[in-house]
Amino acid sequence: MSEEPRRALRGISGALGLALVSSLLAGCGSGDGAEPVRFTFSKREAIPYMTQVVADYNASQDDVRVELDTSGVDVVSASFVRGNPPDLMLANYNMEVARFVDRCTLSDLGDTAAAARIRPDLQPLMDQYGTCDGRTSALPYSVMAASVIYDKAVFAEHDLEVPQTWSELLEVADTLEAAGVTPFYGTFKDDWTVAQGWFDYAVGGQVDTLDFFHRLDAEGADVGPRSDVSFEKDFSRPLEQMTQLAQYTNDDAASRGYGDGNLAFAQGQAAMYLQGPWAFSEIAKTAPDLDLGTFPLPMTEDPADLKVRVNVDLAAIVPEGSRHQEAARDFLEYLYRPEIIEAYNESQLGYTPTTDAPPPSDPRLAGMTEYYDEGRVYQGASVLVPKTIPVMAYTQGIAFGADVDATMRTLDTDWARLARRQ
Amino acid sequence: MATLTAPTARRPRTAAARPLRPSRERWSRSGTLLLLLCSVTVLLPLYVTVSMAFKTTGQAVDGNAFSLPAPFDVQGFVQAWQLTEFPVGLAVSVLVTAGTVAATILLAAVASFAIMRNWERRLFRWSFFYLLGAMFIPFPVVALPQIQLTGRLGLDNPVGVIVLATMFQLSFSVLLFTAFLRSIPLELEESARIDGATTWQTFWRLIFPLLAPMSATVGIFAFLYAWNDFMMPSLIISDPDLQTLPVRQQLFQTQFSNNYNVSFASYLMAMAPAIVAYLFTQRWVMEGVTQGAVKG
Repeated sequence: MSEEPRRALRGISGALGLALVSSLLAGCGSGDGAEPVRFTFSKREAIPYMTQVVADYNASQDDVRVELDTSGVDVVSASFVRGNPPDLMLANYNMEVARFVDRCTLSDLGDTAAAARIRPDLQPLMDQYGTCDGRTSALPYSVMAASVIYDKAVFAEHDLEVPQTWSELLEVADTLEAAGVTPFYGTFKDDWTVAQGWFDYAVGGQVDTLDFFHRLDAEGADVGPRSDVSFEKDFSRPLEQMTQLAQYTNDDAASRGYGDGNLAFAQGQAAMYLQGPWAFSEIAKTAPDLDLGTFPLPMTEDPADLKVRVNVDLAAIVPEGSRHQEAARDFLEYLYRPEIIEAYNESQLGYTPTTDAPPPSDPRLAGMTEYYDEGRVYQGASVLVPKTIPVMAYTQGIAFGADVDATMRTLDTDWARLARRQ
Repeated sequence: MATLTAPTARRPRTAAARPLRPSRERWSRSGTLLLLLCSVTVLLPLYVTVSMAFKTTGQAVDGNAFSLPAPFDVQGFVQAWQLTEFPVGLAVSVLVTAGTVAATILLAAVASFAIMRNWERRLFRWSFFYLLGAMFIPFPVVALPQIQLTGRLGLDNPVGVIVLATMFQLSFSVLLFTAFLRSIPLELEESARIDGATTWQTFWRLIFPLLAPMSATVGIFAFLYAWNDFMMPSLIISDPDLQTLPVRQQLFQTQFSNNYNVSFASYLMAMAPAIVAYLFTQRWVMEGVTQGAVKG
């Protein structure tokens, strides 16, 4: 028995020694002279593509060596705290990333050649999340457009045209329902699908979200029943229409999630589906040959009001804390080369945000291209509300039958309270 | 401890008291039913995990979790292996876990011994409360300063995770060890002293071996914590190449896409060592606990 503790001790010291050695090895791994650039990218579906791009770039020159980091957004936040942020990021542009913008921790990319090629009308959308005076903190890399996905075969079978106005939409839904086809597939169990699809499309289809949130910001803590602009005043009408549309869903919509929706839609259980292009690859897992199309959800009687929802799926960022600014910019320019950025967006069903890029050739996106080209786009209202306010849960409540006015009043109070605190 | 030993300890006793009663069968029927239910709650998810891992992507999303894989497909394993760089992730995870388990057992045992044998001194008593106090501090609360601190000290790597995990595991482990130490009679130590042993020798030769059953329990808790922990390694380790398995697997959980076959293949590979280790140490714990019970 006296041998046992000694053996244990040996084991322990061995383990600790190993730990020490491995950390030392990791510290001096980069000794080949090239400047290392840590490049964060965590969009899973596109990792193989990006791995190839990085490999090609590393092979093309000897001065910079890019290391792909796929460990995700939490790790990145921690690295900012620690003071060793990545040198270059391609990240989903949202309120979370915008915090880095607001606090001016990202370097100015305005002088890069890539910045000069970005479509200028996308800038207001970028600024909606936050700005740092005089700086171009982030460059859009991939824009996702989302609208109603519809099954072309079902539409053809019932002799239906893509609706351009609200009354045409109701007509289409009525026709489908009369024929025994579920018009919309609802996945209300996942609150984000209500917020992303139903809520955002309904609001964006008739409210000028850019202008609305500008005025809402100006009101700040005064948002409420007496302010000129409020969720209650401006959103109640579209949301009443949304509840009207929600009547046309499958009976079990309340207990169906995103995964169920993709499967059901792939099996032809409904004619329309309020989801973004990310659902295409999921639907294709079950039905790769389904003939699908897209159209913006009409919310008014004027076809000129038709717009599609966009979000900046990826934006390029170079943190100020990076010690390899020049090298990171060199790789950034490489990423923005037309053949690379366009091939990326083509493969991910995204729109390339540069002025000279052609739209994606995928026929499923064709219904949205003219709107994107003309700049008839909006960003979803649900993503423009800070995460502290549970707007997704509120919209889910409305889909489940909660009172629209009461919910919007709650949202107003939340907004005012948050504005008062900040 | 008592709950751990209950099933094994009770059976021989009932058998001894009522050796040949036919009523034994009736008892075992309800008991079997209960155990069956319990095992189903474990086996069913395990079955889904295994069968999912061998499905094709198309079959994995078809909504029938319980169906058998047809066709049988190992593509999920191949993808999971490549996406997570499994061998590297496994090595780091093993390193972090082994380091945490070893350091926790060692430090907690030494600290508990010192505290229990000097209980009448205020410094030791208060240090016990100080250590216990850490139980009330969850990691997320102190995450921010810890990230900065480890970054400045060059501990933003697996070693830093071992240090922090040990620290968080220490309070509970000290609690277990001190409770167990109370049951070891002081006379045992006195006899060692009379034979001329120093404090250090008394601890290593006498007390630490006696603590073995509790060390096993502490070790299992530390193992499960370190092996499964996601948040701490994800925030503390800055080099993605040195990331642990759970963090690497985060890749599979996205809002917009389901790759059940790949993720379950990966989870299965990550679970396997834990299950194997648990099977072995569990046996050891059972032996150790009964051993300790007889002595106490």
